[in-house]
Amino acid sequence: MTTTLEHSAPKVTSKAGGLARHQNFGTALIGGVLVAWLAWFIARRVCDPTGSGYSDLTAIWLGIGWTVGFWIGIGAFNGPLRWIAGRDHTRADDLYYAGEGQGRARYWKYTTDHKVVGVQYIVMTMVLLGVGGTLAMAIRTNLIAPGNHFVNQQVYNGFIAVHGMLMILALIVAVAGPWANFVMPIMCGARDMAFPRLNALSFWTLVAAAGLLLTTLAVGSLDSGWVVLAPITNQVGVAMDFFALAIVVFTVSTTVAGVNTIATILTMRTKGMTLERLPIFVWGSMIAAALGLYAFPYFLLVESLQILDRTVFTSFFVATGGGTGWLQANLFWLMGHPEVYVILIPAVAALFEIASVMSRKPVFSYRTAIAGMVGLAGLSILVWAHHMFTTGWAPTLGGPFMLTTEIISIPTGVFFLVLIGTLWRGNIWMKLPTVWMFGFIANFIIAGITGIYLSDIPIDNQLHGTMFVTAHFHYVFVGSVLFGAIAALAFWFPKVTGRFLNEFQGRISFWLTFVGVQVTFLAMFLSGLKGMPRRISSYSILFEHTNLISTIGAYTIMSGMLVLLGAIITSWRHGDPSGPNPWHANSLEWMVSTPPPLENFDVLPVITEDPYTYREELVRS
Amino acid sequence: MSIDTHDQHVAHEGHHESPEVVDGRQRLAVWLFIGGDFVTLSALLFAYLYLRGVNTDGHWMNMLGYQGHTFGWYENLAGSAAGLPAPTLIHVHPLAAGFNWLVTLVTVISAGVVWLGERGLRATKNAKSYSAMAWLATAVVAVAIVLTIIQLRHIPQIFVAKNDSHVMAYTTYSSAMLVLIGSALVHLLLLVFLGLGLAIRSARGVISGEKWHQARLVRIFWVWVALSAVVISAVTTTVNTIH
Ligand SMILES: [Cu+2]
Repeated sequence: MTTTLEHSAPKVTSKAGGLARHQNFGTALIGGVLVAWLAWFIARRVCDPTGSGYSDLTAIWLGIGWTVGFWIGIGAFNGPLRWIAGRDHTRADDLYYAGEGQGRARYWKYTTDHKVVGVQYIVMTMVLLGVGGTLAMAIRTNLIAPGNHFVNQQVYNGFIAVHGMLMILALIVAVAGPWANFVMPIMCGARDMAFPRLNALSFWTLVAAAGLLLTTLAVGSLDSGWVVLAPITNQVGVAMDFFALAIVVFTVSTTVAGVNTIATILTMRTKGMTLERLPIFVWGSMIAAALGLYAFPYFLLVESLQILDRTVFTSFFVATGGGTGWLQANLFWLMGHPEVYVILIPAVAALFEIASVMSRKPVFSYRTAIAGMVGLAGLSILVWAHHMFTTGWAPTLGGPFMLTTEIISIPTGVFFLVLIGTLWRGNIWMKLPTVWMFGFIANFIIAGITGIYLSDIPIDNQLHGTMFVTAHFHYVFVGSVLFGAIAALAFWFPKVTGRFLNEFQGRISFWLTFVGVQVTFLAMFLSGLKGMPRRISSYSILFEHTNLISTIGAYTIMSGMLVLLGAIITSWRHGDPSGPNPWHANSLEWMVSTPPPLENFDVLPVITEDPYTYREELVRS
Repeated sequence: MSIDTHDQHVAHEGHHESPEVVDGRQRLAVWLFIGGDFVTLSALLFAYLYLRGVNTDGHWMNMLGYQGHTFGWYENLAGSAAGLPAPTLIHVHPLAAGFNWLVTLVTVISAGVVWLGERGLRATKNAKSYSAMAWLATAVVAVAIVLTIIQLRHIPQIFVAKNDSHVMAYTTYSSAMLVLIGSALVHLLLLVFLGLGLAIRSARGVISGEKWHQARLVRIFWVWVALSAVVISAVTTTVNTIH
């Protein structure tokens, strides 16, 4: 059944919204810069008696000033202040905040409508990937030949760190940001997220954090790698302060988003939308959100302790003061490994959705799929020390951690089983989302199997710190997660824009990217096997050919990404009209009109069966 | 997926959800935030116990440097004709357990006031007296904040050489105490915000005998803060020195 639920616009009084009427991204930037300057001005006098203006403490106050000013300017404090004053939002205020009647301007504001937030995340993800990708190209260009100095070594180190962290942030939000916001509440049959203002907060806090992270590029090099382990961070100047603060601010964003996602799914489902009838992507969003809620506090803590060590001279990671880098490594990887699955699970869950719709079969073994995701999340919190096999920390725990890491291949295997089982003997519709999904399946096999190698301690002793590791996790993040994210984009793009993502350009992009990934990272495995250390800016002649090949592959990926960017931009305005339900799917996001109206449903639907019961004859265009 | 859009029962829900439904959702969110906070607290205590466990070079409560009280004190020493003596191993004593428990007690009392206030509000429907209780709880938290700041100022510092200058630094014990007490301070500041909100909102009638749900939401978080203060005190006053 394809029902389009029409929507009648409620009346809005002209004064609704209050202060928010004057707040947008512009005032946020002004507020951020002004308060940052003010904080710097005061801190320089109070905390930096030598007057150099560049002490770590001054930098931290500047960064805090930026964040607070940005929050003030965008309107994040309006709600809390109105709460404390007992002047709660009226319905008209809420509608103003939801962006009613504000046209395109609402994308630049503290807008609470989950669909606006979803679009904001799409753009933000593309910006982060764009900057991170540019840095990647600079890195690969530098590595095109031994002894090449495209950028100086100091700058190169900074590029490595910022590329790494930017891409991690980008991928944490790449699927969950756009789609757990844009489509997930509609899938549940909700009118919005459980806490719309927290949703706006999580997005704009991410923007503030990204600003801090990009500042590191301007204030000297972050020459410590993206994991910023102590004591190597001692050599880093104020760039490290901005980095650490960026992470602290970022964890605020993820925590708020995680709470909001879980609360939405558990309490906002419409009548009849039992947990067994939830689209699998909703499950994936919830499991990833819960895992993030567990993992990111460690990130908050480890970077806070870095800040304290650098500014007030505590001794957490300072050996001469009794601290230890192992504490940092533990805290970092307690976050770091689960974070990989915070990134991966939403992408996989989106692919389950796509596999079902595009093969017109129910998700194979729906409950096993959920169990797989839960199992992966649960196990992921017990494997962190596999990043520390070669550090000498607790060698006796090596065996147990090797075991837990290898056990993780079971839930990962479940993902393949569910994907293949869903597609098996289906009448597969080879459209753009399907194509990228197959790319994921191929790449994820390589990502997974090389991961098993690295979990093995004797092999890890050889390969730790080599390009083999780099190649492995690029198969995870680029080959798997990015492919999943693009499949999800191609799948839900018509719901956002009312138009298809251009099939032809999308396929050209796919082949360029797919071939580019194999060329770049298979060659990188070879560099690693031959012993090339990661993170270095020039290398022995021994690694000449494989690096040249990797660089050629990287340029191929870049051209694929540029074609995709072109496709997204042109299709957004001029793509083929798709109608509300182009894939003839059954879940609720396809039942509402395109673009979905404010608050999605005039009358909340009642659900009587799961979304994977395909009855209607498929008419494929 | 079949959907039935003609169910009259649900037609008017949603836009005007009942306070109980909204409250249930908000309570879940509070519990989830507490969950995240719980992980943070556990990680903090893990850091505390881990640093004590490794006790690198015996630096848990000892540090090579100069004993001192203020920056000026150090400046005088450095500028004096005698110049700086060689740095010595300074021993740090654990913070006063009694004072630690006093701060915790005050925090627990504030939580008790909020809880009693909420019970009173739900039983007597008297928003004015609830507002008074909320003001009282906020004032008690303010006392706790003052005590916490005093506690922070009592964390022993030692002057050490660092980058051609001398700075006040912390042994790992002091470092861990600094961050534990600092995190308690952040929570107390949050409680002031929430307490003021409860007091003002109930005075304005936004929280009342009928609309008491937010009083419970805040109380849940408040009790959590008090509980975590107890846990922190229990750990840091019993497990600190190394024999
Ligand atoms: Cu890992």
